[in-house]
Amino acid sequence: MKKIPVTGVYFHYYTNGHAESINFLETENYIKKIPGVIILGNSNELPPIDKQLFIKKIQELHIERLVIAGYSPGMVKTFFTSAMLEAGQDAEKVLIAGFNEYGAIKKSDTELAKIILHFTIAGLSLDDISTYSKKPVNENTLVIGGGIAGIQASIEIANSKHKVYLLEQTGTIGGHMAMFDKTFPTLDCAACILTPKMVEVGQHPFIELMTYCEVIGVTGEHGDFKVKVLKKARRVDLADCIGCGICSEKCPAKTPSEFDAGTTLRKAIYIPFPQAVPNKYLIDAEHCIYVENGKCGVCVKVCPADAVILDQLDEEVEINVGNIVLATGFSTFDARRAENFGYGKLPNVLTSLEFERLVNASGPTEGNITFRTIDKKGNPIFTNDSKSPQSVALIHCIGSRDLTYNQYCSKVCCMYSLKLAHLVKEKLPDAEVYEYYIDMRAYGKGYEEFYERIKGEGVHIIRGRTAKIEQTNDKLLLRSEDIENNRLIEQLVDMAILSVGIEPRADSNSLAEMLEIVTDNYGWYIEENSILNTTNTNRPGITLAGVCQGPKDIPDTVVHASAAAAKVIQNIILQKTKKAIDKVMLSEIETTLKD
Amino acid sequence: MSYRVNSEFKSDLKKFGIAEQWNECFHCGNCTAVCPLTENGFLFPRQGIRVMQMGLKEKLATYVDPWLCYYCGECSETCPREANPAELMMTLRRYLTSVYDWTGLSKKIYTSKWWEFGSIIIIALLIIVGFLIYLPLKSGADAMVNQSGSVMINSLVEGISAGQFVRIIEIGDWTMAIIVAALLISNILNMFYKVILSDNAVKVPFGTYFTEFWRLIYNFATQAKFSKCDDRNYWVGHLLLMTGYSIMFALVVIALPLFQIEEIVPWYNWQRLLGYYATFGILFFLIQVTIGRIKKQDTKLKFSHPSDWLFIIMLALTTITGILVHIFRLNGMVEATYYLYIAHLAVLVPMIVIEVPFSKWSHLAYRPFAVYFSRLKKAAVKKIEYQRELAPAI
Repeated sequence: MKKIPVTGVYFHYYTNGHAESINFLETENYIKKIPGVIILGNSNELPPIDKQLFIKKIQELHIERLVIAGYSPGMVKTFFTSAMLEAGQDAEKVLIAGFNEYGAIKKSDTELAKIILHFTIAGLSLDDISTYSKKPVNENTLVIGGGIAGIQASIEIANSKHKVYLLEQTGTIGGHMAMFDKTFPTLDCAACILTPKMVEVGQHPFIELMTYCEVIGVTGEHGDFKVKVLKKARRVDLADCIGCGICSEKCPAKTPSEFDAGTTLRKAIYIPFPQAVPNKYLIDAEHCIYVENGKCGVCVKVCPADAVILDQLDEEVEINVGNIVLATGFSTFDARRAENFGYGKLPNVLTSLEFERLVNASGPTEGNITFRTIDKKGNPIFTNDSKSPQSVALIHCIGSRDLTYNQYCSKVCCMYSLKLAHLVKEKLPDAEVYEYYIDMRAYGKGYEEFYERIKGEGVHIIRGRTAKIEQTNDKLLLRSEDIENNRLIEQLVDMAILSVGIEPRADSNSLAEMLEIVTDNYGWYIEENSILNTTNTNRPGITLAGVCQGPKDIPDTVVHASAAAAKVIQNIILQKTKKAIDKVMLSEIETTLKD
Repeated sequence: MSYRVNSEFKSDLKKFGIAEQWNECFHCGNCTAVCPLTENGFLFPRQGIRVMQMGLKEKLATYVDPWLCYYCGECSETCPREANPAELMMTLRRYLTSVYDWTGLSKKIYTSKWWEFGSIIIIALLIIVGFLIYLPLKSGADAMVNQSGSVMINSLVEGISAGQFVRIIEIGDWTMAIIVAALLISNILNMFYKVILSDNAVKVPFGTYFTEFWRLIYNFATQAKFSKCDDRNYWVGHLLLMTGYSIMFALVVIALPLFQIEEIVPWYNWQRLLGYYATFGILFFLIQVTIGRIKKQDTKLKFSHPSDWLFIIMLALTTITGILVHIFRLNGMVEATYYLYIAHLAVLVPMIVIEVPFSKWSHLAYRPFAVYFSRLKKAAVKKIEYQRELAPAI
């Protein structure tokens, strides 16, 4: 048996807010029995212990190697590396046994925690112990989510001549990027760079597009997943529909358009947007009069291709794939939650996504920035009849960097806000634009230059996030502290745009449960290693692409998706699969050690 | 003017407060923007946090802003970092009280429970022992009940007449009032020196002292700034306490011979009506604040420093003993009246002597003076110059 050097194990009990934590005591008792292992103590404090005492202990016990165990022991690692150094030991010999990273979170995961700790003590990596099985890997891949991440990953994999099922929940691929007007920092038209990729996906011989579908069950394991897919009834035959649009013209049922972020109304039979892929109509059953009470059916009568099948039912299909790429993206923060900004009550307080649509040439006003008004039926709408605002304020960090909502930085809002400020200035050169920020995070290639450029365009950029918005007569009153100029400002503006942050999708946790992968406290999917491997998950064969792993801008998302694709292609070529860590037995580690 | 960063200051300040999350602040400016009381020239609480984080002690001494805050708690409620700016303002008020107090007692009382409770207990014991030795209960005092059956309170002491007794208590009252006033006034002069005279940016035109003087009186009498906070219930409670206690204080110090008389006058006489109003006002405040501090629901009362509880306890004891003296008197209970009278003085005197010049109660002077000084400052300098001086890149 391989001799283990004298290893000190320190438990960092900090539980990251998990209510029912794993059984630390049982884990301690288990590893005590391993020869050469000495328990050095435990704590949930920061810093964990008295350093000088600890150094003394290391020297007295001749500890050669240190293992720190806990949920996220990485956060205290520097303390231990410096302690080891001061004790005259090698700082490289501090190892981390992070339970969180491998999905050991609940009390029932105690066994898993033991395994993690054991192989770390033995000086092995996860790769060493999760032995490769000899079963072949199915060459097909499922990509869940048809936004830019899913599109990019699908194209990359399909270009290596392996089949991809691209599954999308809505009627078209494109995701959030399709809704954006411009991209930062180059101010490229988002649609102009996205739609060619969408078309490529639609026409790719190795991509099977499954729009309006949902995953409802996954069985099997890496190399041989069986995925149950719910094909929601589209009620329009994809093969027959010629996309003429007569049905939509005649349809009497209206509802806010998802693609236009609610700024326009669409019909119950609709095409999400003119460049949709597939460019075919579908029926939204929730708003269809026929589905509701059996009357109507106008669309059937007018369709020249007889493509409408009003009584079509949902269908379940099963597909076999070797790998799954998760590219489910995000949803934007619901600005109604931050009540002090009056979104939902004050018509001219907009979310950034609404403004993207408003300023877009295919948006509600052909790109004219106008006031939101209330129509005869009480719906808030944008029309070309209303006037343009003369002053617009942008407020950063709505729902981000706020312990009440999400503590993290959403990463994209500073830059897109600068972009929106530019778009206002471009469309309304005489308008005053005010940006209220906490810290301006213009990281990345060309971003700082972009920030300087926007400053040069005469946008008032004010340090100090606004606290509230109130309606005064026909204007909005914003009160904020101008930190850099040491004054309180009460600014009257015509329109305010809330730079909402991004959040995991509402169904991210239920999907994670179905796929047996782990999420963090917010609902973002946890990667195997937050620095060196952000694409793999705790379950072999399930790979992450894009924002579902954590906030990213478009360039980062595209790179991440390509990286995920590389993992999949590598796996298909190597034809090797790994066991999930919770399927590894303690006895196997002991066998590996004997070899 | 240059300032030296003092990173130790934060830990010094911790002793004055109980919430210590202020270092969480990332300076978004939310707190200042929601504050209903802040204004140009006096931007708080965020600047206060900055000054605290940098440990600019000299600057803090010239800083009146914490006194302009009435703790509505809105900043703490909406703070994205849960850094608790309102509690910092409260803590800075305690700290500033110790800065203005030249005797150094204030710092000891605020930062040490031994000093705080010890000083109160010593004074209380002095009162009790002094009373029992020099003003003992008369033998045969049981007879000191008048025709209506109530106790003749001034005739219970051995060897002196009722008139002499009132005189002795009155002299004691005045002595206490003068000592306390002298200490408080000297502290206010110290505050004036620090806030106005030693602030190089400020040159107050002489006339302004008079033209702005009304603010001092006005704010003392109405606490108008307090009423601008969103929840006005606490302003009402506070106003009742302030007027109630002031009336009671005037009755027992200035008008003692008219107030503490042998006969129980009918309830509609002014002495009794004023007394009842005062008792009601103080009780209203006590109930409101005690419930609030126990429930910890309102941000304003979530964090209770020992000095806050001490204030409530002493005020409650004063009120309860005072009410009991009144009840015992009415019912002709001679001994009980005598001992409760001693107990009443044994809480009332230490409370005033310790709390008014050195502790929580000193705000009765600092707050209105801070409003007055802030107007002087504002009038003194041209706005732009002033703002530049106030902000060494904060």
